[in-house]
Amino acid sequence: MNSKKSDVLIIVPAYNESENITGIVEEIRDNYPQFDYVVVNDGSSDNTGAICKKHGYNHINCPINLGIGGAIQTGYRYAREMNYEIAVQIDGDGQHDPAYIEEIIKPILEDKADYVIGSRFVENKGFQSSFARRAGIHFFSFLIMILCFKKVKDVTSGFRAVNKFFIDVFADYYPIDYPEPEAIVDAVMRRKRILELPVVMRERDGGKSSINLKRSVYYMIKVTLNMIVCRISYGIRR
Amino acid sequence: MFQIIPPRLTFVLIFAVIVYFIIILSLLKHKKLNMKYTLLWLFTGVAFLVLVLNPILLFKIIQILGITSTMNGLFIILIAFLIMLVLSLTSIASRQASRITTLIQTQALLEKRVREIESKLDESKEENKE
Repeated sequence: MNSKKSDVLIIVPAYNESENITGIVEEIRDNYPQFDYVVVNDGSSDNTGAICKKHGYNHINCPINLGIGGAIQTGYRYAREMNYEIAVQIDGDGQHDPAYIEEIIKPILEDKADYVIGSRFVENKGFQSSFARRAGIHFFSFLIMILCFKKVKDVTSGFRAVNKFFIDVFADYYPIDYPEPEAIVDAVMRRKRILELPVVMRERDGGKSSINLKRSVYYMIKVTLNMIVCRISYGIRR
Repeated sequence: MFQIIPPRLTFVLIFAVIVYFIIILSLLKHKKLNMKYTLLWLFTGVAFLVLVLNPILLFKIIQILGITSTMNGLFIILIAFLIMLVLSLTSIASRQASRITTLIQTQALLEKRVREIESKLDESKEENKE
């Protein structure tokens, strides 16, 4: 059950996702029996860990909640330890459709990209999120544009695939609590090929989003500063 | 003109610094403080003592800074030290947070390996029984 059988690892971070986790893992198992996956149970206070154990899923239990960044980094560290060539990260809440995994790893397999982002805004299909969130996403997109001259539309998408280079980079350092936009700045500044591919996202099946209205102001300020600091730390390039 | 620290206040301040050093030393002795993180506190105390014992030096420094009262100058210098201390504490806390994260991740990865090894052991035991 746990031995490595492929070069592709699908990382599924899960924090209190007892309602969704079986659905997403079964979908991955049914659609991609050829790929490996690992569920990172990020110190959940519900029975997410027990469910993984009961079903015999390949899973890692973090004893304390690390936050999404720390959980994903655990997945990347596992990928490095097990020597995987490609890692795909997909949210444990059922928002991302595993059917697109094949498409987003294709450019990496063909060596056309190092970092692929599954984006809901390239073709504007499926669940598009609320107006306020889209405004926030556009703001970050604009910020990335002025910080590093790279157009990325869906900067907060947690549906991504990376090659071995980034597995190594992210195993060493991954931004901690709202990591997605900062990770893009980091990747662009490393002068790697970033590609955005259209995917269709679904509305969450159950559970709550990690970002509510109260936290959103804090989120905007923190992520903006993080991105700027990340950009500055690379000095003058391009 | 400038007001030099009154003699009585000088004694009070020196006494306070001595008490401060005694507290730090006793904490160090009982291993409740790490020398690494205590150096800045000791240095602050020494600097404060030097300034209190050397009113002329204090006088010159505050003249350069453009402060008109000796006591104000002493307070401002002390506040500057405190800000540095708090900042260094925040930096220590951040460093520890990232180290704890690394530890948790390593522990989680190890726990997974142990779990796998145990299940393999159980399997081979059952095979042996058969």
